[in-house]
Amino acid sequence: MLGNLTSVWVLLLCLTLGSQLTDVAAAPLCTNAPARCRILALANLFDRVIQHSARMHGISNGLHSELEQYFLPSRNHIGKVSRNCHTSTLLTPNGKENAQRMAREELTEVILKLLVAWKDPLWHFHQITAHQHDLANFSLDKTLEMSNMVHELRKGVEKVAEKMQTLGIISNSVSSLSSLEDILPSESAEWRLMNNHELLYCFRRDSDKIQNYLKILKCRIVPEYGC
Amino acid sequence: MRNVLKWTCLLLLVGTPHAEGHSPPGKPTLTSCRSPEKETFTCWWQPGTDGGLPTTYALYYRKENSDAVYQCPDYVTAGENSCFFNKNDTSIWVNYNITVVATNRLGSTFSDPVDIDVVYIVQPNPPENVSLTIMQDKGWPFLRVAWQPPRKADTRSGWITLIYEIGIRMEHENEWETHVAGQQKLFNIFSLRSGGAYLVQVRCKPDHGFWSEWSSASRIRFPDYFHREKSTWIVITVFCFFIFLIVTWLLHVNSHRSVKHCLLPPVPGPKIKGFDQQLLKNGKSEAIFSALVVSDFPPRSSSNYEDLLVEYLEVYVPEEQQVILEESKELHSSCFKSESSTSDSDSGRGSCDSHTLLIDKGGQSKENEDRPVRTEDQVEAEDWEEEGSDAKEDMGGVDVPSGGRVKTWPSVFTSPSDQQISREHCLSDSMIMITEGVLGPDPSEFSLSATKPAVAQLCKPVKSRSDINISTFVHKPWSVDSDGVRPVTEDTTAFLQPFLLQERDYSKVKRVGADNTLLLQRLADVADVDDCEDQTISTGIDLKTTPVCMDSIMPGQEATSAYVDTAAIFPMPTH
Repeated sequence: MLGNLTSVWVLLLCLTLGSQLTDVAAAPLCTNAPARCRILALANLFDRVIQHSARMHGISNGLHSELEQYFLPSRNHIGKVSRNCHTSTLLTPNGKENAQRMAREELTEVILKLLVAWKDPLWHFHQITAHQHDLANFSLDKTLEMSNMVHELRKGVEKVAEKMQTLGIISNSVSSLSSLEDILPSESAEWRLMNNHELLYCFRRDSDKIQNYLKILKCRIVPEYGC
Repeated sequence: MRNVLKWTCLLLLVGTPHAEGHSPPGKPTLTSCRSPEKETFTCWWQPGTDGGLPTTYALYYRKENSDAVYQCPDYVTAGENSCFFNKNDTSIWVNYNITVVATNRLGSTFSDPVDIDVVYIVQPNPPENVSLTIMQDKGWPFLRVAWQPPRKADTRSGWITLIYEIGIRMEHENEWETHVAGQQKLFNIFSLRSGGAYLVQVRCKPDHGFWSEWSSASRIRFPDYFHREKSTWIVITVFCFFIFLIVTWLLHVNSHRSVKHCLLPPVPGPKIKGFDQQLLKNGKSEAIFSALVVSDFPPRSSSNYEDLLVEYLEVYVPEEQQVILEESKELHSSCFKSESSTSDSDSGRGSCDSHTLLIDKGGQSKENEDRPVRTEDQVEAEDWEEEGSDAKEDMGGVDVPSGGRVKTWPSVFTSPSDQQISREHCLSDSMIMITEGVLGPDPSEFSLSATKPAVAQLCKPVKSRSDINISTFVHKPWSVDSDGVRPVTEDTTAFLQPFLLQERDYSKVKRVGADNTLLLQRLADVADVDDCEDQTISTGIDLKTTPVCMDSIMPGQEATSAYVDTAAIFPMPTH
C-alpha cells in the first residue's frame, strides 16, 4: 500500500517536472524521416506556440479591462497620459506590408526581442500586485501566469527558430539568447517609468503583435497547414 | 443719456445675429470608426446644428507619441461626414487621436477627441459565396454549408484570423438557431426535418473586433426521407424482441424460487381434498365429484378431535333458562356465522366478531358498574335473536375447512358425544371461569393451573341475555356454591346460571355439550387478566375483548385468559 502510494507520487512528480522542462518543444516525431514529416513537426510547433501566445494575449486583455473597469472608471477624461511603452524603441512592423516585407529571420528576431523585453517588467508587476493591498484582489494568479508565460513562450519561439535553422528554412543569423540580452540594456529603467495601467496597455498591444507576427511567420513558412 | 444709447447699440449689435438665426456651428460628434480588414479604416461623425450658416467639417488626427497634426486625407470615398484612411495612412498598433471641427462664418466648434487603435475596431464584411448542399451519409441526408471569407480580409497570409457563425431557421419560424463554426469554412448540419424549407446565413468576426453583418440568407428545401424512418421502427421492434428473449431466458435460467416467484408468482393449485387433477383432465365428471366426497366427513374418529377441537368450556344451563339460552344460542350461532366467515383464522382465538357486533349494536358500555344494564340486555337479546335466525340457516352450510382445520363450532355442533370429551378437555386444560368482579381482589385464587383441578376448573358463566335484573349480580361475589356456576369436576359439569358477566367477564367457550352444556375456558395469565382488567371497562355486557387479551389466548397455554365468545355455544341438539 505504502509502496504503491510512493510510486504514484514519484510518477506524478516526474510527470510534472517533465512537463515543466519540455513545455513547448515537440517530441521528436520523426528524426530520420523524410522532409515532409519534419515540416509537419514544424507546423505542429508553430501551432502550439501560436496557441500559447493567444492565451497570453487573452490574459493580458482581461487584466487590462479589469484594471480599466475598477481603477479607472472615467474613460473619457481629457488629458490622458500618452502611452510611452518601453518597447516603442524597438522597430516593429506596423502594417501588413511592412510585416510581409520583413525577412523571416528579422521577424523571428523581433518576436524574440519583444519577449525578452517583457520578462522583467512583468515579473516586477507581479511583485507589485503581490505587495500592494489595493491591488490584492487584482488577479494575482493571472499576473504570475502572465510572467511565466512570457518566459515559456520565449523558450518556445527559440525552439521554433532552432528547428527552422536545422531545416534550412532560415539562416543562422538569428541571435541566440545571450546575445539578445546583450543587445537590450538590462539595466534600462524605462519600463519602471510606466504605471500599472500603462504597463498593461502596452503589454496587451505587444502580446497581440507577437501573436500576429507568429501567424504571419507560420503562413509564410508552412502555408498548407491551416492558413 | 449717451451711455444709455451706447448700451442699446451694443445690445442691438449683440442681439442682431440671434434675431437673424446665425450662430457658430454646434458641436459635432464622432459616431464610429471601423476597419474592414485591419489595413484601412473609416471614421464617421454626426454634425451638430449648423447655426443657419454654411458649415464645413474637418477631421484632424494625431498619432501616438507625435505632436504633428494631420488632416483627413479623404473625405469622399466613404460618403458624407466621413473620413477614409487608406493603407498608407493607417498604422496598426498605433494610437490615433481624432477630432472633428465644424466651422462656419461665425466660428468653429471642436468635437470631443476620440482615441482609437485600429486593431480593436475591425469589423469585417460578411462572408461570401455561401453554398448549401444536401449530402448523404449512409442514407441519412444532412446539410453542408460552405462559404468564403470576405474578399478584403486577408486570412491566407495569417494577417487576420476570422471565426464564423451560422444561423439557420425554418421558413415559417422567427428564431434563428446559431452554430459557431470556428475557423473552418464549412459546416455540417444534421437532424433537419424532412421536407422542410430552411434559411441559412453566415457571419464572421476577427479575434478582437466586431461581428460582421449577416450574409444574405440562402434558402434550401430538405428532401423527404420518410422511408428511412421505418428502419428506426424495425430497430425498435427487434430491440424489444431481444429484450423479451433475454427476460424469458433469465426466468428460465434463474430457477431460484425467489426470483421466479417474485416475477411470476405461482398460481395456487386447488387444495380440495380428494380433488384429482388427472380425473379432471380425463373429463369424467362423475369420478371427480365422487372423489370429492370425503367418506369420513363428518369426522367421527375421536383421534381427529384433538386437531379439530380447541379448548373450550362446558357449561350446563338449567331448564328454566332454556328460552334465554336458546336465544343466546341463536346469538351464538350468529357468532358461528361470523366465525365461519373468517374460516382461515385459528379458531382458538375464537375472536368472535360477534363481540364487536354486540358492542356496535349495544353501544359502548360504560365503565360505570352501577349503570343499569337491563335495557342493554334486552337490546342485545333482540340482537341475538336477529342474528341467530340468520346464523341458523348458515350453520348447515358450513363446510369443512380445508386442510382439516375444523372449526370449533361446527364440530361441536355435530358431535353430541363431544360432551364427554369436552368434559375431559375441560378437565385437562386449565379452564377457569372467572369473572373479575367475582374474583374480587384476588383473582389468582381462581386462575390456577391444572394442578388444582377442583378449584381451578371454574367455568366461566356464559354471558347470557336475560331479563333478569343483572345489576343485582354485578357485585355479587362468586362463590363456588353460588347458584349457577359450579366447579367442573370429573363427574359434573358446571351449572351455569344466566349471570350477567361482570365487567371483564369473558371466557372462551370451548365447546358446547350435548345437553345445554357450555364449556368455557379461561386462558389468561394473571398478568393477562390484569391487562384485561385494565382494558375491559364495562359491565358484563361488554364483551369486547381487547387485543391483548385476544392475543394472549393460545390453546394449550397454561396461562389463563378470559374472554367469552358470546357465541356461547348452546348445544345444537336442543334446537
